[in-house]
Amino acid sequence: MITTGKVTKYFGNTEALKNISFEINQGEIVGFLGPNGAGKTTLMRILTCYLPPTSGKASVCGYDIIKNSLRVRKNVGYLPETPPLYPNMTVYEYLKFAAQLKDIPTQQIRIHIDRVLEECHLTKVQRKTIQTLSKGYKQRVGIAQAIIHNPAVLILDEPTSGLDPVQILQVRNLIKGLEQKRTVILSTHILSEIEQMAQRVIIIKSGRIITDRLLKDLLTSSLEKEKYILRIQGQRQTVEKALQAIENLSLINFCSESLILHQVEVEIPPTKGIKNFLIKNILQSGCQMEEIRASKPSLEEVFLKLISEEER
Amino acid sequence: MRKILVIAIKELSSYFKSPIAYIVLTITITVFNIFFFMIIEQNREATLRDVFKVMEFMFVFIIPILTMKILSEEKLIGTMEFLMTTPTSNTAIVLGKYGGSLLFFTIILLISSVYYFILEYFAHPDRMAILVGYLGIWLEGAFFIAVGLFTSSWTRNQIVAAMSSYVILFLCYFSISFIKYFSGLLQEVIHYVSVWSHTERLFAGLIVTSDLVYFLSGAFFFILLTRLSIENRLWR
Repeated sequence: MITTGKVTKYFGNTEALKNISFEINQGEIVGFLGPNGAGKTTLMRILTCYLPPTSGKASVCGYDIIKNSLRVRKNVGYLPETPPLYPNMTVYEYLKFAAQLKDIPTQQIRIHIDRVLEECHLTKVQRKTIQTLSKGYKQRVGIAQAIIHNPAVLILDEPTSGLDPVQILQVRNLIKGLEQKRTVILSTHILSEIEQMAQRVIIIKSGRIITDRLLKDLLTSSLEKEKYILRIQGQRQTVEKALQAIENLSLINFCSESLILHQVEVEIPPTKGIKNFLIKNILQSGCQMEEIRASKPSLEEVFLKLISEEER
Repeated sequence: MRKILVIAIKELSSYFKSPIAYIVLTITITVFNIFFFMIIEQNREATLRDVFKVMEFMFVFIIPILTMKILSEEKLIGTMEFLMTTPTSNTAIVLGKYGGSLLFFTIILLISSVYYFILEYFAHPDRMAILVGYLGIWLEGAFFIAVGLFTSSWTRNQIVAAMSSYVILFLCYFSISFIKYFSGLLQEVIHYVSVWSHTERLFAGLIVTSDLVYFLSGAFFFILLTRLSIENRLWR
């Protein structure tokens, strides 16, 4: 569906993207992740034919972004970082203008506008001028514009930035509702958003791809140590001793709930049967195990680790 | 073709959604009316030649105000990215934008056509001469708008756009005043570049091919430059 081969982009002498290669299949939802200035927007602009790459090739739906630019644009819906709206147009006029520019036959324009108004919950405000709308509505008008021609590929640049939590939820649900058969690329620096929406993550830093993996693989395998939260009954000193006796275990947090009940956070390299091993060791020391649970790493931890590893 | 029209109509309606259209219309029409009355009263001739000259002078100042936002505003608010990522060719965008301003300019001229009917009511003006005069002022406006379109495509700043078109238009309009300080080839060049030497005959009702070529090629040249300028992505 989308392929890039060694895409490189220079702005003057500044290298914005370096050898970006990936392939995205139909129906995938991919999150672009990276610190500010990493090149996410530049990459999206290249895929939407707004900027040409300095070198390298890219194609969307089988069409080359340079040679078949109009065809590519017909198949892509794009929401830039700031929604591209004309403040003095009404929502309806704007969507009509977008529909006309996106080659929708005149007889069908009304149907398509009604559909996106419904999908983006904009029916109530369709006669309002865009400048009077709140940020959340503006963002939804931006999304409506991007999906009005039923594109096969949807590229969204930070679709939820600057919205309040309720609006974020609405926009997120909206994007989730769109997914059927559609390829979606979205960038954001709100990591929980990627966790909830994307299946695959491409992490970009300083114009390079540092990771391109499925989200679930990324979360399980990229940390060398597993984290466990234990609740142990026993004298504090005994518990501490028991934990210190375990090889390779590092104590992160020790919190006493009462004199004889402690909540402990530990890290240990993942090996087979590690959970049983922990339980056995604690019980042997004369303490009692109330609870043991693995604490899954958040994408945030993985992200920070990958980014800082690169820096080293 | 359809998209050129869509963009042009959107552009035209955007003029009327901001106060700029009403301000420009009020100012130009008021000034034209005053001068029409003064000129007719003084000359006692059933011709619009001198009225055209006043219009020409006014348009040198008014057109950059009309055109300064055409592309610079799109760049500023980010809608250029929207336009250029829809399946619309750059040529259609440029021509649509140009067409919108040209339509607005044509509306101003159409309103001023009242002067012809006033003359017709009181006297017997030379209809063809007035029509040719209108053709002249329309072509001149088309050329000025192309200049404004071009300067608007360089920058996000409307003031910069307006100032740069003033520079170009002043060179075209006022250069003839300095012609006596030059001689030889330079004098000829200034004479040819100056809009005065081309509008004079048209306003008097005379069609000369070289005058038409001057305005049409000038407009074409600046539209082409605009097309190249928005293509040049380093400027974005």
